[in-house]
Amino acid sequence: MIRLSRVSKSYRRGGETLTVLDHLDLDVPDGAFYALMGPSGSGKTTLLNLVGGLDHADAGDVVVAGTELGALDGRDLSQWRADHVGFVFQQFNLLSVLTAIENVELPLLLAPLTRKERREHARHALELVGLADRMHHRPGQLSGGQEQRVAIARAVATDPKLILADEPTGDLDRRAADQVLDLLGQLHEKFGKTILIVTHDPLAAARAEKTIHLDKGRLDRVETMPPSPDAPSLPRP
Amino acid sequence: MNKLIRRSLLRHPVRTLLTIGSLAVAIFLLCFLRSLVTTLSAGVESANQQRLWVQSAVSLFVDLPLTYQGKIDAVDGVKRTCRWQWFGGYYQDRTNFFAQFAVDPEPLFSMWPEVEIIDGSKEAFLEDRRACVVGAGIARQFGWKVGDTVPLIGALFQKADGSAWEFQVAAIYRPARATVDDRTFFFRWDLFEKTMEEAMGQTPQVGVFVIELEPGADVPAVMASVDGLFENGPQRVQTTTEAEFNRQFVSMVGNVPRLVSFIGGGVLLAILLACVNTMLMQAREQLREIGVMKALGFSDRSAALFLLSQSLLLVGSGGALGIGLALLTQPGIAGFLNRYFPGYEIQPTTIAAAIGVTLVLGLLAGAVPARVAERTRTVEAMRPH
Repeated sequence: MIRLSRVSKSYRRGGETLTVLDHLDLDVPDGAFYALMGPSGSGKTTLLNLVGGLDHADAGDVVVAGTELGALDGRDLSQWRADHVGFVFQQFNLLSVLTAIENVELPLLLAPLTRKERREHARHALELVGLADRMHHRPGQLSGGQEQRVAIARAVATDPKLILADEPTGDLDRRAADQVLDLLGQLHEKFGKTILIVTHDPLAAARAEKTIHLDKGRLDRVETMPPSPDAPSLPRP
Repeated sequence: MNKLIRRSLLRHPVRTLLTIGSLAVAIFLLCFLRSLVTTLSAGVESANQQRLWVQSAVSLFVDLPLTYQGKIDAVDGVKRTCRWQWFGGYYQDRTNFFAQFAVDPEPLFSMWPEVEIIDGSKEAFLEDRRACVVGAGIARQFGWKVGDTVPLIGALFQKADGSAWEFQVAAIYRPARATVDDRTFFFRWDLFEKTMEEAMGQTPQVGVFVIELEPGADVPAVMASVDGLFENGPQRVQTTTEAEFNRQFVSMVGNVPRLVSFIGGGVLLAILLACVNTMLMQAREQLREIGVMKALGFSDRSAALFLLSQSLLLVGSGGALGIGLALLTQPGIAGFLNRYFPGYEIQPTTIAAAIGVTLVLGLLAGAVPARVAERTRTVEAMRPH
């Protein structure tokens, strides 16, 4: 699903060049659930951005779902994101002027669907995350955990194969974080989504099959987690 | 998407409504000022082709000898002439301004077909030396009816005993065209001449002679002939078409179109800057959301269109409100300004110009924010601040 070959990425900060990823190689198979961990500045989010087509690598190849992302221009990359990736962010990033269902409908505007079909898809996604009864609430009327679940519904609304989550539990309390992790687990196990999650939370990383540790832009080590004995359940609203 | 554009714009309703209000006032002013110019131009353009005006070559304020009339009448192509003299009096109070002219009674109605009698009669005007013909506008304002006696105080021309001039309302006219005013007071030349002879002991002079041309007359030739008659004085004259005469008369109050363009341009520039400022604030506040939209798969172009649409909606709302306001207030303004701008009317070209200006303002105000949205990198936009 994801293959990174000798990928490098640097930024210029105050006249200095800061190497964030340094000749990194990584393979994530189809349907995998991997966690990315490492100290701040180790390149986790940059890696996620490259895999999600939000940024370009300076060197090396980034191939996701069979597409070499470096070969796509801005417009094609946008369309590729719309077709293949669902994003979940630490700060939820819902649009405050839209209701929950309208937020979930937003990526569906790029799909060839009628208004009615869009609404159906969005409702279904909200049911999946247990928030069907909050569909007409605006983000400001929801708790942090609920907002993140709406964001997950938005990420899966277009049924992408790949879900990229950047510290999805970073702004949540333990209970809400567990609900969000349960949901991601279910998307992986029941729907076969490939999930790559950046986290500082060892409990979150424990939900993944493997944890990739990055340090100074390089692969430090890979940890394989034992399979969970209990299947995750859908959270209650 | 329309919902998102609308709601994004109403994120700060007070700011948005104030901007729309400012735009509405600016576009209203644009319609109003442009309509003043088109109204003036319509007056000039609707001038009668069969009339020429003879005035002093020095100035409109210099009178011409009465004896000129017979010589002008004899010029080939001239059918008849009518004497006009600005009276400059007032009714009861100096603030009751309206134009008064002493004229030859006989040619008045035949030379000015755009003047239509609605009460009284032409015959009554021709029969009584004290008779006057008044516009419906001033008749309505002062409550004059046919048969009423109207005293005017002469400011420029006073009677020997200093008393008021008294006139009998013989007829009330209304203009057959909107650009002709309905606030003029005509009285007979013979009364004027006799009264002034009594007061000053000499025959009064003439402000302008108006020529009615024979059908098919060679206009430039007639103008040249009349001017040539008095080349050696005692007063040199300038003969012009009625359109040119009107244009010169309008220009006496200054270059109105240029003044109006200057004011209108200033207003539009100010409102453009205000709109750009509003839209830049909108863009700054929505940068993160634009980043989210791009992450979800919206293209750079879509992000630019998102902000451009907000700008067009914002400015379009203000423009539509301004145009609506201008149309709604048109009858009231026309009535209020009738004294100075008879026939005030918002032309379709003015509406088209206002729509065009609104569109350009919307595009200009949205151009920079749209460019910002287009160029903003998703990663930068979503970086926590």
